[in-house]
Amino acid sequence: MAIQIEVGQRGLTDPDLQQVIADAVPDKPMETNRKMNYFVKPRGRRLSEYEILCCYTQPTPDWIPGGLDWGDWTQKFHGGRPSWGNETTEMKTTDWHRHRDPAKRWHAIYVKDKAEEWRYTQRFMKQYSGDGQIRTMDPVWRDEVLNDYLGAFCFSEYGLFNSHSSASRDCLGDTLRMSIAMIGFDKVDNAQMIQLERTFLAKLVPGFPESTDEPKKEWTQGAIYKGARETVEDIWQATYDWNEILWSGHMVYDAIFGQFVRREFFLRLSSYYSDNLTPFFINQMQLYHSQTKGITSDMFFYCLADDPEFGDYNRRLMRMWTDKWLPRTVNALKDFMGIFTKIPEIDHVTTQDAIEKALTRVFDDWAEDYAAKIDYKADTAAMVKTVLSGLK
Amino acid sequence: MAISAATKAATDALAVNRAPTSVNAQEVHRWLQSFTWDFDKNRTKYPTKYKMANDTKEQFKLIAKEYARMESVKDERQFGSLQDVLTRVDAANKVHPKWNETMKVISNFLEVGEYNAIAATGMLWDSASAPEQKNGYLAQTLDEIRHTNQCGYVNYYFTKHGQDAAGHNDARRTRTIGPLWKGMKRVFSDGFISGDAVECSINLQLVGEACFTNPLIVAVTEWAAANGDEITPTVFLSIETDELRHMANGYQTIVSIANDEAASKYLNTDLNNAFWTQQKYFTPVLGMAFEYGSHFKVEPWVKTWNRWVYEDWGGIWIGRLGKYGVESPKSLRDAKKDAYWAHHDLFLLAYALWPTGFFRLTLPTTEEMDWFEENYPGWYEHYGVILEEWKARGCEDPNSGFIPLMWFIENNHPIYIDRVSQVPFCPSICKGASTLRVHEYNGKKNTFSDDWGERMWLTEPERYECQNMFEQYAGRELSEVIAELHGVRSDGKTLIAQPHTDKDKTLWTLDDIKALNCVFSDPVDAL
Repeated sequence: MAIQIEVGQRGLTDPDLQQVIADAVPDKPMETNRKMNYFVKPRGRRLSEYEILCCYTQPTPDWIPGGLDWGDWTQKFHGGRPSWGNETTEMKTTDWHRHRDPAKRWHAIYVKDKAEEWRYTQRFMKQYSGDGQIRTMDPVWRDEVLNDYLGAFCFSEYGLFNSHSSASRDCLGDTLRMSIAMIGFDKVDNAQMIQLERTFLAKLVPGFPESTDEPKKEWTQGAIYKGARETVEDIWQATYDWNEILWSGHMVYDAIFGQFVRREFFLRLSSYYSDNLTPFFINQMQLYHSQTKGITSDMFFYCLADDPEFGDYNRRLMRMWTDKWLPRTVNALKDFMGIFTKIPEIDHVTTQDAIEKALTRVFDDWAEDYAAKIDYKADTAAMVKTVLSGLK
Repeated sequence: MAISAATKAATDALAVNRAPTSVNAQEVHRWLQSFTWDFDKNRTKYPTKYKMANDTKEQFKLIAKEYARMESVKDERQFGSLQDVLTRVDAANKVHPKWNETMKVISNFLEVGEYNAIAATGMLWDSASAPEQKNGYLAQTLDEIRHTNQCGYVNYYFTKHGQDAAGHNDARRTRTIGPLWKGMKRVFSDGFISGDAVECSINLQLVGEACFTNPLIVAVTEWAAANGDEITPTVFLSIETDELRHMANGYQTIVSIANDEAASKYLNTDLNNAFWTQQKYFTPVLGMAFEYGSHFKVEPWVKTWNRWVYEDWGGIWIGRLGKYGVESPKSLRDAKKDAYWAHHDLFLLAYALWPTGFFRLTLPTTEEMDWFEENYPGWYEHYGVILEEWKARGCEDPNSGFIPLMWFIENNHPIYIDRVSQVPFCPSICKGASTLRVHEYNGKKNTFSDDWGERMWLTEPERYECQNMFEQYAGRELSEVIAELHGVRSDGKTLIAQPHTDKDKTLWTLDDIKALNCVFSDPVDAL
């Protein structure tokens, strides 16, 4: 029969075409190995779908550890800088392909989760507004704290989000690149959720200012976020090593400052001011934080700190970076203490004893989950004391 | 703590407001442009000679959660089709074997492009200053992860359910052996990520996506469907739904620099270089994949090319950008000539080097030869005669002791690699426009096949210095190279690559190749 098909003819459904195809197809499969990426070392007992779809998509040559290709880059930056190169980070490894997202999220899994969260968020807002729950929210908490200070925290999340752009460009592994883009995406989602809450409040509360003007003024000119802003600016734009960007952002700043602001301030206190709305959003952010923590812990601790050849060196470097970023983070929290003069005082909730406990929880968590993993000696009591000195 | 009169009034008013309400994505997105702030250190890590405007908008106006919802809906449809009905009808075994092989290449090579586009759009997200423009690039970053996974899924699906898993199951490792790989990296990898950020955007979005995704991702689905493959259209058409947003990003890149003086100086040169870079590889490779990698034919590649590249892109799409000073590339005319013969020239070379592939290639049948002659008058006299000679010498049969590479050597037709595009060419046998030029640089001879690439080299040779396969393999015996780079099936001896897809013919093994005693040499040494 003719090999030139007519418009609309499809080989699967056209009997004549399919007969020709069937005659050509081998009687039995030509290859018995039906496992894609069979040469990849699985993290678990067997290769996961995530590993099949993501591992070794990065086409680096073998002089970048873990690469499967040979030779040089076919086009470089002006002046000859390579497309990707070992010199983009001080960290060293025997294999940049080792990282795995513990949740094994490839794109379809990632967006499925977030899509469910979005649908539920919209249903929640309708229930919350229809129930009239806003009526009992403390008005000062609502109009001053949520508007100005939760609004200003949007910029912290947005700045951290932007710190992932160069890291997603420069990193040297495929699973790394996908994880970095996703945890960056979660950060812009956090920033958008904060504005979403403010927009929602503007719909419910006559006169509530939806505009970002006041929060931005607080972020850029206010004293409460001064240390945070300067730290975020430097993580975002003054840091070139993509591993240092991730370390400073996720393993120091957000693990301490972000956790205190989200968990120990907005989440812990909101119920005391009859705010059932903010926890809904903050808990989504905390979910993203925990997923990000799984990813970054795998990147830094499993892959780099425990690298068979460069583990000791990498731990030293992580400790050095911590020395650089920890004082700035402590200072950011010290500035943030000024917020307690802005809220109606509740004994043993917003007073120093409760704040100290909250700070201790954050620093102890950090010391256990981060510092201990790289043998970093952290004097958490001293840090708590330093932060508390910022209380007015 | 005392509350203000406004706060009290607002609180009092709440008593009567209990209408269920929500917030949609657009209501959040309209504040996005205000999310950034000015500070001294705020500048990109990827400098560009252009200035991207601070107030550039995006067209799609998505927020993170709405993006996820939209993509998730598409995923449900796509994976539902693949995992349900297509598996139940055993679709992967109802694909013509020639096309099964073609998809080993197309899906994996497109995956490389999509993967590198993650990094490319990460760079653009860093380079843009306007939050909306960043947001547009960000959505594309996520899309490119999606597409990387989707392309991988095609190979995964064929591996699991198809007739010949070899090559599908290890393309990410075996793709590096052969002559098509480095050129693919030039267009789909380094061309997207290494250079001035706007130049990379032009490569990726204005040319790669706006020009070549139509023939690559849309036309390929027609060829796939004709040859029994409904897996590829299911995935690739879902990919294409995102590409519109990427083309819009490319458009917005141009809008963002339109008022910059640098645009009038450099934009058309960058566009011309980007177009030539992309077409130099895609024009021959896609034409070869469609016409030589299929049994049933849709239409001659030259017609597809003319419609999508010359008329739609060179005319309409670039025409729309005319108001920003963008002109159709000067190299478009030369590219149009390539669209006629270049893919036939490339097939000769690819078939000559078939043992280095990760797929099976097939000589055209008699009726296919008639089709070629009918659509490309003069084809038989040049190409048909050569292919018949190879067939007569038993090139498909391992007992013949003949691979067509020998014919090139016997007849003194050296095969060179164009240093800038990394595309192989044989100036003494090609019917297309390639001619040999040689430039010495850093003590090394570099070969080129056309004016446009040669000009890029002469301007910035340090950007394109890169070993080619002949330099890399020089002095090494062919079977040794194949074994080292894992080009064998799971029995440890049969090659993944074969010079036929006939189920009744014998398959070549490493021993058959070793018996040829074929040792690589770099033809440049003889110049």
